Formats: sequence, structure tokens, C-alpha cells
Amino acid sequence: MTGFSYLYDLLITPFTDFAFMRRALVGSIALSIGACPIGVFLMLRRMSLVGDAMAHAILPGAALGYLFAGLSLGFMTAGGLIAGFVVALLAGLVTRVTILKEDAALASFYLISLAGGVVLVSLRGSNVDLLHVLFGSVLALDDNTLLLLAASTTVSLLALAVLFRPLVLECVDPLFLRTVSQSGSVSHFGFLALVVLNLVAGFHALGTLLSVGLMMVPAFAARFWSATLDGMIAVATLIGIFSSGIGIVISYHAGTPTGPTIILSAGGLYLLSILFGQRNGLILRVLPRKHLAA
Amino acid sequence: MTNTRAGSIQLNDVTLGYDRHPAVHHVSGCFKAGSLTAVIGPNGAGKSTLLKAIAGMLRPLSGTIARASETSRLAYLPQLAELDRDFPISVEDLVGTGFWRKIGSFRRYGREDRLLIDEALEKVGLAGFNKRMLGTLSGGQLQRVLFARLMVQDAEMILIDEPFAAIDTKTVSDLMGLVRHWHCEGRTIIAVLHDMGLVAEFFPDSLLLARECVAWGATSHVLTPDHLAKARSMIEANDPHANECERAA
Amino acid sequence: MLRLLTLYLFLGLLSGTPAYAVQPLPVVASFSILGDLVHQIGGDRVSVDTLVGPEEDAHVFDPAPRDAARLAAAKLVVINGLGFEGWIDRLIKASGGAPRLVIASVGVSSHRALIDGREMTDPHAWQDVSNVRIYARNIADALISIDPEGGNVYRANLARFDAELAALDDEIHAAISAIPSERRKIVTTHDAFGYFALAYGVEMIAPQGVSTEAEASAKDVARIIRQVKSEKIPAVFLENISDPRLAAQIAAESGARIGGKLYSDALSKENAPAGTYIAMMKANIRELTKALMP
Repeated sequence: MTGFSYLYDLLITPFTDFAFMRRALVGSIALSIGACPIGVFLMLRRMSLVGDAMAHAILPGAALGYLFAGLSLGFMTAGGLIAGFVVALLAGLVTRVTILKEDAALASFYLISLAGGVVLVSLRGSNVDLLHVLFGSVLALDDNTLLLLAASTTVSLLALAVLFRPLVLECVDPLFLRTVSQSGSVSHFGFLALVVLNLVAGFHALGTLLSVGLMMVPAFAARFWSATLDGMIAVATLIGIFSSGIGIVISYHAGTPTGPTIILSAGGLYLLSILFGQRNGLILRVLPRKHLAA
Repeated sequence: MTNTRAGSIQLNDVTLGYDRHPAVHHVSGCFKAGSLTAVIGPNGAGKSTLLKAIAGMLRPLSGTIARASETSRLAYLPQLAELDRDFPISVEDLVGTGFWRKIGSFRRYGREDRLLIDEALEKVGLAGFNKRMLGTLSGGQLQRVLFARLMVQDAEMILIDEPFAAIDTKTVSDLMGLVRHWHCEGRTIIAVLHDMGLVAEFFPDSLLLARECVAWGATSHVLTPDHLAKARSMIEANDPHANECERAA
Repeated sequence: MLRLLTLYLFLGLLSGTPAYAVQPLPVVASFSILGDLVHQIGGDRVSVDTLVGPEEDAHVFDPAPRDAARLAAAKLVVINGLGFEGWIDRLIKASGGAPRLVIASVGVSSHRALIDGREMTDPHAWQDVSNVRIYARNIADALISIDPEGGNVYRANLARFDAELAALDDEIHAAISAIPSERRKIVTTHDAFGYFALAYGVEMIAPQGVSTEAEASAKDVARIIRQVKSEKIPAVFLENISDPRLAAQIAAESGARIGGKLYSDALSKENAPAGTYIAMMKANIRELTKALMP
């Protein structure tokens, strides 16, 4: 029985002993549930770098919030959300209406946005690292922040359920969608809005690295376990949840910074998936296996 | 001569193009309801452009396209390029998107619809392929799946653009059989094709396009050496010194 | 004619008098606290220039050529000593001169402590008010020896200032005595309060492991919380942790109060509460009292 109690001490006791540990776990699980499905879609649409771009795009929004109301988290978050939505909107518009593709459109606006943000911040003259103030830490989740995460995840899941079929069709066969429905635009912009929502909520609660990393890395790993969309979403979410738990526990015992440790755990699972995944895993390709009769 | 029977499509002096340079000029005529027309012509003749416009994807620079039925009863199969074959979607689900006009974005398709999908897959020779993923299909199989979707759409007007490019002969003949079946059901079908043999064998009507209408009518009257020679002499490139077109208003 | 000449002479003498009588003595102090002390003793007879200004950090001070020039122009240079100004020898050499140097901490009994992870002589002697009385005497002696004419002024100022310091010392002792003895301990990231701790009996506990950098680990946070809980520390002063929300989380879970700002080795700018030495010590004791009184 000592093996079991050792394991219990290793894995469970940290959470029973400390409230901040429980909150960190709940918060990152909430984020995983909301963000990992979005990450799967981003990956499939070849938009994997969007998260990082978005982090920079929201700067002028936060800067405006700061200029307007000082170091107020509410205003800065709202500003960040608005800036993110505007950039996503403009990028989507340019993609649909002009000859530029999605990647160029998004890059153009996030760069403009970032530059604008830097100018705005320097206007105020102070040296405050705005992004640092805006972005939180997974170990510091107070009640309001947990509520924010829960709300954003709920909204995200509901919206995704509503947008699911048009979104899928827009990914697979956008021309066909245009011939049969008007909802192409709605699903396109709706999806971008969901990306912004999950990212900004994640930034605010958990910091940039954790937010983007938890959205994307589990999705990459899921590729190697499932060939269906539903399967990928489920696996990605599970991997996100596991990485969160593993990462927090390791950070507790080994004293490593928690956010990066969670992402490293996800990264570890990702590498294992590349090797041992049931779909296109490397080991599978290397091992000689008899092919089936038909 | 206008024809207002459901399923007919009337073109009135339609000019289509990009950037004011016309891809195809001043086309007038009528696709009668229930007709089976092949659109042929050399490369760059504007055939795909014309089809896009009829499908409602492209606005004419001038002229009008009148469809006797609403666009919801129109199915359009473009050239293959735009499909994301890596996306994890099953054959069944892709064919199922054909029900979109019926069920919209929210409802899932029901048991009857599933039977229709099975039937369509069987008709295209892909019985049992329901759960296969898109990425595992060959070119010919993918084309069959798209035809199955067309079937499920149950449209009055069917537009297909180069459906048989790089497809094996067995598939071509199977799918042509399907097209003839639709023709018998009274649907209006317009197909862009390169294979003159197919056209001559299966298509009662033809439209020979060479950036303008060279000939339109019964295939035997259209596919004459004169007409074909005229079409071949069409200029492909845009004329940078072109004046404003002075023809029909 | 002669009367006009006399008038002119008389006016000339009058106009010449200010320039002759009060040319302030140029003094350079190494940092803001010393600057204030010199100003208190010297009054209008000195013009004080400070190398490390208010709210600046003496540990990272990098002397520039213009600082050498100021040094060269000074009649007196006042430094703390005890190893606080690691850069002073270099600077004196660069200034080319050998100005009259006074080490303010001569006569102070020092101790060794762990500063920035290294064991060394603790230079922050000014945190004990009785030491500053010694500082003031040293500065007064130096000023008198350079500028004997001002001797009366300096002695008078010293007497007045010394009385103020004595009163301050009593005030701090009284405030601390009013705090129940089991509550006389805080957690602080500053390592500059060794002399304060010794003189006034407040235990200064360094948080184990939590660094001032952005990313904390779950292990560190757990350790602080355990430490605060088990030693029943009433307040934590964690202003140096870059995420205020993390400090709040720690305080909430450990049941401690969050302390305000403590000034360790620099004065604040003029309009802020710690513009002079006495104001600074009063500000600190106010924060401590607020945090530690039940």
C-alpha cells in the first residue's frame, strides 16, 4: 500500500494542501476545454502562428485602455479584446475581398497594430511594461479571474457548437459553402472572434506563453492519434488537461516556473505522440507490420 | 427567344471579365430547361468563367443572366483545386453537406438522408466508403464522391466544370452514365469539357466558346471544321491597347 | 564730486557683498539619503549634488564622465562606506583629483549579512536611526574643518537635527513596542533592513526562493505560504514581485496582510512621502505599524 500512498503524496496532496494549486488546475483545465478545440481548427486551417500574432495585435488596445484609465485591468482587458476583434475583422475582410490570403492579411494588421501600440505607449512617456501588467500568472488566479475563464470557455463552446458545421465546410470546401449558404462570412468571422476571446482571456489569466501554448501544442499532438475531427478535438482537450496537471505537479516538486512547465509537459506529450502515435507515428512507420488482406 | 420553363437559363449579352479586360464577350442565348449542353473551346476561352457566372459566383461586367428557378435549385461543381483534401472529414460527411439547403447549419441529417447518401455512394460505385477519410481517396474516387454529393443535392440545374480531367476511363464512363441519368430525369445540365469524343457521343447541345460565342446549338451543327478553326484563331491574351468595345449595347 | 564717488564705492561694495559673503560650498553626496543629511547639516552654506538620485538604485549605478566632473568640482565628497559604493574608487581616479572624502559611517558598528546571496558587511547602516546620528556628526565635523567660518551654523544645524533624530528613534521604538511581540515579524524581499531588525526588534524574513523575476514556481509559492502559516507571520511585503496578483494570492491563502511600500536605500522624489530621511523612516514605520498592529 505504500506505493499507492507515495503516489498519492506525489500527485494529490499538493492539491489538497494548497488552494492556489487547486485554482491553477481548475483555471488551466477551463482554458484547455475552451481553447484546445479552437487550436485544432487553427492547425487544420494552417493558422498555427495566429496566436502569437494576436498577442502583439492586442497591444494598442491595452495601450488605449491604459491611456484612458491608467493601470486598470478591466479597461486594459476590454481594450485588448476590442483591438483583437478589430484586427481579426480587418484581416478576415481583406482575405475575403482582396487578393491577399489569410496569412498575409493577418500579418499586415498585427504589425500595424503592434507599431501603433508602441507609439501610443511612448506618448504617455512612462516605461511601464504594459504587456507585463496585462498578463497574469497561473499561480495567481483569484475568484474574478476564474470566473472570467469559466465564462469565456462556456461562451466559446456554445459558439463553436453553433458554428461547427459551417466552420467545417468553410475549411474543406469554401466554394461549395458559398454556393449553398450565406453563413460563410458569419462562421469565418465568428471563428476569428472565438480565437481572440480565448487568447485574451488566456493572456489575462495565464500569460501569453501558456495561453497560446495550451491552445496549440495539444492540437499538434492530437494529429497523431486521430484521423477524425471529433477525435482530434477530444484528444487535444484531454492532452491539454493532462499537461496542465502534470505541469503544475512538476512545478510544485521541482521548483520550475509553472507556466512554461505546463507547456513543456504538453511538448513532451507531443514528442511522444510523434514517436508512438497511432496515426503516422514514427515508430509505427519504422516497425515492419504485415499489411491487411484487403 | 426567351424560355421561362423552370430550369432554363437565359443569357442576355453577357460580358464577363477581370479588370475591364473581357474574358468572354457579349454572349446571348438560352440553355433550355432539361437540356444537356457541353461548353467547349480552346484554353482561355472563358468557359470556366462563364460557368462561374451562371452559378452566381461572378458578377457580369455587363448584361444579365436570368435563371427561371431560384439559385437554391442549382448545383455547381467547380474544378478540383479548392478542396482541402487533408481536412479530416469522412466521405459520408462530405456527401452529407449536399443536404445543406435542406437542413441548414444546425440540424443534422436524419435516417432517410443517410439512406439517400448510401444510395448515392452506391450509384457512383463507392458503396461501403462511408467512413473513409477524404485524404485516403484517389483522384477518381474523390470525383465520384463529389458526384454523389451532386446527386444528394437533387438540383434542377447542374453545372460541372472539367469533371473528367486526369480521371481514369472507367470512372469517366461510370460518371457519364450518371449524367445521362440526370438528363433523363429532366434536369438542366451544363458541362465544360475538353474531350470532343465525349461531347460528340453524349451531348445533344454544345456551346463553342472562344472568348465570345462562336456557335451554340445542336452539337452536330456546332462541331464543324469552320467553327473549330475560327475558335482556334481566337486571341488568348488581353490587348493592352484595346479601345472600348463598340459592339452590342 | 567726492560725494558721488563715495556713493558709487558704497553701491559697489553693497553689490559686491552677496558674491563675497555666501558662495555655497559644492558638496557631492553618493546617494539621496546622504544628500539629505548633508543638506540638513549644511543648510544654505552648501550646494549638494547627488550621484545616485531619488528612486534610483545604487547597486546598478554606472558612473558617467559627467559624474567625474562633478566630483572634480566638489570641495567635499560624502560617501556611505561599508562597501556600499563599489564604484567610488574608480570614479575618484577618473576625476583626477583627490577631493576631501568623508566616510559617513565611521564609528558605526557593523555586522555581516547575506546580501544578494553573498555574505558581506551589511552597508545599510542608516536603517538604524542611532547610526544616522553618528553620520550627522561625521558630516558636521567634515564641513566645519573645510569651512571654519560656517562653524556656528553647522553646529546649530547639527544640534537641531540630532534632536529630531533622537525624537525619531524614540518614536520608532514606541511604535514597535505597541505591536504585540509575537507579531513583530514580516516577510520581505528587501535585504536592506538588517540594522533596523537588530535595533528595533522586528524580524525580517526573506521569502524562500521566490525570485523577483516574472515566473514563480508552484514550489516557491507553496514554501512561502507554508512558512508564513507555520511561523504565524502577520504581513508580507512582496512589492518586488512583479505580479501584484501573485502577492495577493499568497497573502490570501496564508492569511497574512499585504504590506505597502518600504523604502530601503533611496529616498522618494519630492512630492512623494519619503522625500527626506526622517520622512522616509516615518513612512516605513507607518507601513509596518499598519501591517502588524492586530
